[in-house]
Amino acid sequence: MPILPVLTALNVALPLLYGGLVVLYAVSFFGSTTALDRLKTPSIVVTLFLHVLYLVARTIAFDHPPITSVFEIMTLLAMSVTIAYLYIEARTGIQNTGLFILFLALVFQTISSVFIRDLVTIPEYLHSLVLGLHVSTALMGYTGISLSAVYGLLYLMLYRDIRSSRFGLVYSRMPNLEMLEVMSHKAEVFGFLMLSVGIVVGVFWLPHVFDEFSYWDPKLIGSLVIWLLYAAGLAAKKSFGWQGRRTMILTLIAFAFVFLSMTVINLYMSAFHSFH
Amino acid sequence: MNLLSIGISHHSAPVELRERMWFSTEETQAVLPRLQEQFFSECVLISTCNRTELYGMTRSPETSEEALRQFLIEAKEATGIVEPSHLAARVAGAAVNQIFKVAAGIDSMIIGDIQILNQVKEAFQIARDGSTLGPVLNRLMQSTLHVGKRTRSETSISEGAVSVSYAAVELASKIFADLSRKAALLVGAGETGELALKHLVGKGIGQVRIANRTRAKAEALVAELGGEVVDYDAMVDTLPSVDIVITSVASPTYVLGPEELVRALRQRSHNPLFVIDIGVPRNVNPAAKKIEHLFLYDIDSLSAIVDRNLERRKSEIPRVQGIIQEESEAFLQWYNSLQVGPTIQQLRDAVEEIRAEEVRKNINRFRNEDRELVELLTRRIINKILHQPMTTLKKGAENGRGDRETVERIATIRELFGIVDFKRKRDEP
Repeated sequence: MPILPVLTALNVALPLLYGGLVVLYAVSFFGSTTALDRLKTPSIVVTLFLHVLYLVARTIAFDHPPITSVFEIMTLLAMSVTIAYLYIEARTGIQNTGLFILFLALVFQTISSVFIRDLVTIPEYLHSLVLGLHVSTALMGYTGISLSAVYGLLYLMLYRDIRSSRFGLVYSRMPNLEMLEVMSHKAEVFGFLMLSVGIVVGVFWLPHVFDEFSYWDPKLIGSLVIWLLYAAGLAAKKSFGWQGRRTMILTLIAFAFVFLSMTVINLYMSAFHSFH
Repeated sequence: MNLLSIGISHHSAPVELRERMWFSTEETQAVLPRLQEQFFSECVLISTCNRTELYGMTRSPETSEEALRQFLIEAKEATGIVEPSHLAARVAGAAVNQIFKVAAGIDSMIIGDIQILNQVKEAFQIARDGSTLGPVLNRLMQSTLHVGKRTRSETSISEGAVSVSYAAVELASKIFADLSRKAALLVGAGETGELALKHLVGKGIGQVRIANRTRAKAEALVAELGGEVVDYDAMVDTLPSVDIVITSVASPTYVLGPEELVRALRQRSHNPLFVIDIGVPRNVNPAAKKIEHLFLYDIDSLSAIVDRNLERRKSEIPRVQGIIQEESEAFLQWYNSLQVGPTIQQLRDAVEEIRAEEVRKNINRFRNEDRELVELLTRRIINKILHQPMTTLKKGAENGRGDRETVERIATIRELFGIVDFKRKRDEP
């Protein structure tokens, strides 16, 4: 079977599938309970299955895992966020945060699908196992902080609604503030740890591979700033007992930097992290 | 042979009369067999402090609503107090509609009342235990419980707190994850505050503390709900160790101000504090509303929640009525077919009896070779006469609509043709 048409088809289909998931979760979020509710979780499973198929097909077709450009990373991120959400849904039974998390996955996947290029020849060093470790930990790190940001945003929305006696959809659909805070915090700690490993591996490994390596690389600096932001946030929670609204705002600011770093730095301040 | 209901509710009578007509479980158990003996082939009595409703299948079409009204009033020895006009009567489709409305919670004083479905369930249980439930009411029970379940799962008629004290508890569970790990402090012992605390205890709150100027009152409440009494003057010192504060003190000045609350929040390292101020005038200085991680609600904002929830419940009524419509159509189709089948058969039998009798009496007047023709001819005539009414009856049963009409038609036909219940004829020769 020719693999390229399949790839193209899946590349178009995935944003549509994620869009479908978002619509499905939105219908049950904004409407009341319907028969569609039962389709939600199975639809995620189907989407994930096709997503894995897509990534495997890509790996075979281009003879390298899809970790060589920011857009390949983004499709991976869309998948890992969705997997993480599926896990959380199974663990907590809370379905109403799905809309927001899946929306994030949709954004990642759409950007990826639009900009992704078929890269056939890549430098030899991209086949390294160490790189695999670097990328997978960084990916889990970003997944964690993305989820943390979504829960942080939901926390702030609910916090505002409760304080101002506005009892709309957010109020009726969301779990309680404490749980949103715990979820955001757990995701953040997980993300931070994974990001730390990813950065450490990267910093030790990169100089061995790249001759032109510089510690002033924008991507490196960007990642470090992000790491410091999260480190500071977590430290503030730990030592000053910060919690609630403030820490959630901090989480969102840090996530804005992450998004900026992934897009702006990767695209316009081209350095060794892009392999086109 | 007809489904009949007689009932008193807040639509037809004031509370004193409704209370007067309340049947306890024992009274219900005692009265059902008597009702069955006198009026019904099967019957059930639903009685709560707000309504008393009797549903039954009458033995004959002549059973009068008036007699039933009198019976119920006399059973409660309320003659002269409760007037027959306080009891509303409903027949067939209207009775089905009524019991469905009750079970769905849209006939309650507080729309969407959840309790009522359990009470309906219990009433049917009592009837079943006392063997006053037959095929029709058994089916009606299943449909009724189904309506109750559907309205609760498909509509939000029962959602949202509709009392101030419960609204407070609902808010608490939107702020905190696990109430069993939280502590509540009740300051003062006003009725609403006490009720809110009781709801919290019902939701499994971890610890309860009560502070009251009259210590004895606090002690009495602690004896009832558990927890510990806190010195009223040292109440502020307990703020850092509790998560929910309910104030309901009769005091002209504020009991708590922003300073104390800010200090308490700092001491509890900004763990959220939920303050429910039920006092009138207010016990907590509203300036505290601005403090971060402090959720302050007063009686007005809680009442606003209640109003909004009631409004929202009301807006769900059309959807509930849709469900009732569907279910009552399904039930009545079954119910009518139950009635139409035997009536058609009995009508045919009755007419056939007349024909056979007349033919037998007069057959000698015909020549031998014509006798077969007479038989054929008379049969044809009655078939043709009966064809139209029977088709109409069957249609009425099939489409499930015009339920009352079909039931009345059946009653009319039975009366006009003098068809009596064979079962009854056999039972009471």
